[in-house]
Amino acid sequence: MTSIVYSLRNVVKERLVENAGFRLKVPSIDIHAGENIALVGHSGCGKSTLMDILALVLHPDKADRFLIDPVDGEADDIDDFWRRKKRNRLSRIRKQHIGYVLQSGGLLPYLSVRENIELPRKLLKLPDDDSINSISRVLGIHRQLDKLPGLLSAGERQRAAFARALSHRPSILLADEPTAALDPITARKIMAVVMELIKGLKITLITASHDWAHVYRMDLRVLRQEAGPAEDGRIYESTFRD
Amino acid sequence: MSQVGNIVRLSFRDYTHEWRMSGCFIFSLAAVLAPLMILFGLKFGIVSSMVTQLIENPVNREIRSIGSGHYKQQWFDQFRDRNDVEFIIPKTRALAATMQLKSETAKRILTAELLATARRDPLLANLAKTPWDYYQIILSQSAAKKLNVNKGDQIDASLARQFQGKRERVHLKVNVIDIADAAVASRSVAFVHLDLLLATEQFKDGRAVPDLGWHGDVINEASRSYPSFRLYAASIYDVATLVKVLEEQGVRVKTNVAEIATVQSIDQNLSIIFWIIACVGAAGFAFSLGASLWANVDRKKKDLSVLRLIGFKSGRIVLFPVMQSLYTAVLGWLLAVLVYLVFEQLINRFLAPRLNLEQTLCFLLSEHFFWALGLTVGIAMLAAIMGGMRAANIEPSDGLRDI
Repeated sequence: MTSIVYSLRNVVKERLVENAGFRLKVPSIDIHAGENIALVGHSGCGKSTLMDILALVLHPDKADRFLIDPVDGEADDIDDFWRRKKRNRLSRIRKQHIGYVLQSGGLLPYLSVRENIELPRKLLKLPDDDSINSISRVLGIHRQLDKLPGLLSAGERQRAAFARALSHRPSILLADEPTAALDPITARKIMAVVMELIKGLKITLITASHDWAHVYRMDLRVLRQEAGPAEDGRIYESTFRD
Repeated sequence: MSQVGNIVRLSFRDYTHEWRMSGCFIFSLAAVLAPLMILFGLKFGIVSSMVTQLIENPVNREIRSIGSGHYKQQWFDQFRDRNDVEFIIPKTRALAATMQLKSETAKRILTAELLATARRDPLLANLAKTPWDYYQIILSQSAAKKLNVNKGDQIDASLARQFQGKRERVHLKVNVIDIADAAVASRSVAFVHLDLLLATEQFKDGRAVPDLGWHGDVINEASRSYPSFRLYAASIYDVATLVKVLEEQGVRVKTNVAEIATVQSIDQNLSIIFWIIACVGAAGFAFSLGASLWANVDRKKKDLSVLRLIGFKSGRIVLFPVMQSLYTAVLGWLLAVLVYLVFEQLINRFLAPRLNLEQTLCFLLSEHFFWALGLTVGIAMLAAIMGGMRAANIEPSDGLRDI
């Protein structure tokens, strides 16, 4: 049995204005090392919110348990870090263990593609080896390395975003609808390459998508999602569970 | 590379990448700072130099005695030691303080008034040399013109007296070591060493001057006194105190009190006006710079969120806008200095002559430029740190959805 990377119990995040709005609930989720998980649901169901919570960039309002153990060692209590405002501890976990691909790439426009991909490695003071060239070659962007992101196509930008998220060999890859802005053929191609890469690197993948067909083709474990009105219809509540 | 090094590098890359926006920030800073510097330049140029000139003019600091007194050497020494006295020297009786001067290049014999001088005489402050014996003399411009002499020429000085029923005249070859500025005296004046002034008086009084071989009565004066003095206060603000001290001693004096009051009033009123304008300008500058840099931090929220997502610490993130504000502050200041220098030249070259002003109309001291830099960097840092802290304290996910 592989170790548990994420363990969440009764995690809640609300976005309320005058007691009306949205509530995300996670009664129970355990994600094991090397698993490939999909958060599937329509737009506005809280996929990105949950992705941000898992990426340690969004503070849940409540959590009975929120543990992360990326390298099968001692689990870190993320809820405790948030409550005690240990932001640098959260930064360190993000820096070392998490790669995050945003829907629109999130590349820094003033750095070349190579510099964008190198950035997580520089932050960890990893040696300059051939890993940038090899990962770029696998993702098909090795000819674009010296260009600025603004000169790339949408597909190339997403490939570069994946390269940046993977360049420092994280144990967790989070991808928030990474192919939403691409045509289906390009999306399929990119995800196929990424799946090959993460299998080789034994990375835990959690991706959000609203495309059921795409998710089933990639053979991902899908977290169950239910949504509906609550509390007299004032709150739209979305629940993700194992 | 450390996180700090990485942030400094990234902030510079972003700053140069967005060169149009950075340029706008630099121009907007210079657009506010340069007029402020020109305003200060005019204040220091017109007001300070004009007022300083009036304040420093020795005529306004002179305290003249009315009538004749008996002032001993000890009295002069006491006043010379005071901090509020710049210069004091004895005068002899006016009738005994004249001398006939004759040059080889002029036909006329000129009767010149003698004034004793010494080192640090405010009237001759611009001159390098001071008479230090009987044979050196400084002429007023009027006297030099009438005698048709220049600096370095030798002239004949002579004195006449009626002694024991006979008319006598003695001659002395003196060197013109310098010519005083026209503003010093419009009269024909010869500035001489105190010894020559005293020798002149002694000779005219029928007494002997052994140093110069002039015969006459020999009178042993244990402690001589002087009828008058030439006294200059250290500044116009010291004149009133000195007048009070002298009047307490029974010395009647005359000063340019009314002129001094006018000058002081001009100085104070203009200073108040300029400081009001300058303070309002500086406050406007602070708010304008602070607001634009604050807005810049807001604009950078997305990029800062990505950096935090990648793993940069919150504290380091603050450095990003701080460094960019520093670039803007230094480059904006540099541009403002260039604009100021151009206007300074234009004002001084073209406007000052049209106003018939002799002094520089617009100028700043080097420390003023550094004060401007300090003020600019200080405000920029404050605004950027406040904005940066706000950016570092918001949850990183807040900016990510806009990417």
